[in-house]
Amino acid sequence: MKGIDPKSLKLGFLIFCRMFLGLVFAYSGFTKLMEPVENFQGGMAAYEIIPYAVIPFLAHVIPWIEFLFGAFVIVGYLPRVSVLVLAGMSSSFVFLILATRIVTGSLPADCGCFGEGSLIHLKPFQVLILDVFNTLVGIRLAFLKDHPFSLAAFLKAKS
Amino acid sequence: MKMNLRTLLTGVLLVLLLAGTIFFIKRNRAVPTQPGASIYRAALKVQGPKRAPVKIVEYSDFECPSCRAVQADIQGFLKNYPGKMQLTYKHFPLTSHKWSIYAHQAAECMNAQGKFWPYHDMLYAKQQEWAPSNVPPVEILARYATELGADMNRFGACMADVAVTREIYAEKEEGNQQQVSATPTFFLGKERFVGRKEMQERGENAIRKILGLSPKPMPEPKKDAVVPVPPVATSNKQGVS
Repeated sequence: MKGIDPKSLKLGFLIFCRMFLGLVFAYSGFTKLMEPVENFQGGMAAYEIIPYAVIPFLAHVIPWIEFLFGAFVIVGYLPRVSVLVLAGMSSSFVFLILATRIVTGSLPADCGCFGEGSLIHLKPFQVLILDVFNTLVGIRLAFLKDHPFSLAAFLKAKS
Repeated sequence: MKMNLRTLLTGVLLVLLLAGTIFFIKRNRAVPTQPGASIYRAALKVQGPKRAPVKIVEYSDFECPSCRAVQADIQGFLKNYPGKMQLTYKHFPLTSHKWSIYAHQAAECMNAQGKFWPYHDMLYAKQQEWAPSNVPPVEILARYATELGADMNRFGACMADVAVTREIYAEKEEGNQQQVSATPTFFLGKERFVGRKEMQERGENAIRKILGLSPKPMPEPKKDAVVPVPPVATSNKQGVS
């Protein structure tokens, strides 16, 4: 039996990572968008370092960014820009969790990352690990010149 | 980055498709924005005059630290606007809090004896005593009931009554239908406030608006204003649970 070509293996892994990153964000945004915005507002307010004045605005905007760019990453539309946006968001969540822990000495019971009504509920330290992973994956994918099985590749081939 | 027209149009189409999907799903699964009249006996946990202009419905969990912390604010509102507010308590025991359902059952049993509010206050005030228990805190809950002069035969029978548990979960289900999934969640007419900070920041101004009063300026963040509960709570303080 022939061994698996390492190049294909690497490619497959990167596609898997892209799908994973996209799905995490698309699902996270989707569950928040399906709920009253106040639920996410309350979740954000639990991180006491976020200035309250910006919370209502962020609570409206963040779920849309997560959902749209998550879907962009899945289908591979503007893949490099999209993964960079998601990596930026992941790293800002890492910063938020660490800063909240340092400044207030405590963390909310639930990370508030997925809508309250979603099937996934992670504790902040669990989401910290996920976000670090997503940041690294996002940065790695941003360096990838061509994204196979993507809308970008399809559009490039057509033009 | 160079973007051609085809790419741009694809993006616009994608955004329209995705946003359209969200709006379509949301429109077809519209839920009531405020709690309706309950048909359950367990819902009759009301304080304040019936004709009060401000009617607040609270979905809360007795084991949740934020729910305990927000009680000071609620009591403050009731004190500051006497006769103008009516508060309705609704059970919302979270599954993540293992002893919560025992406390809710006990509170409902005290409700049956007309002692819900004093027991409610006691459960929150002594949360640090019963919530960390390693075994179901039935004895502690019974002791609180004794201290409040409950008929312990009735209390004991009620604690074993599955119909009471069913009513509590029916009330929680009512909350689920309003998409309540974090505690404390407050409804003030059509407005929803999730968590203590929301109630502090927006809740009081919403009350004042109904009463025709000018809004209060946003308070400066004060360390001691965040957690006015016993000092033990500060080390264990949590956000929306």
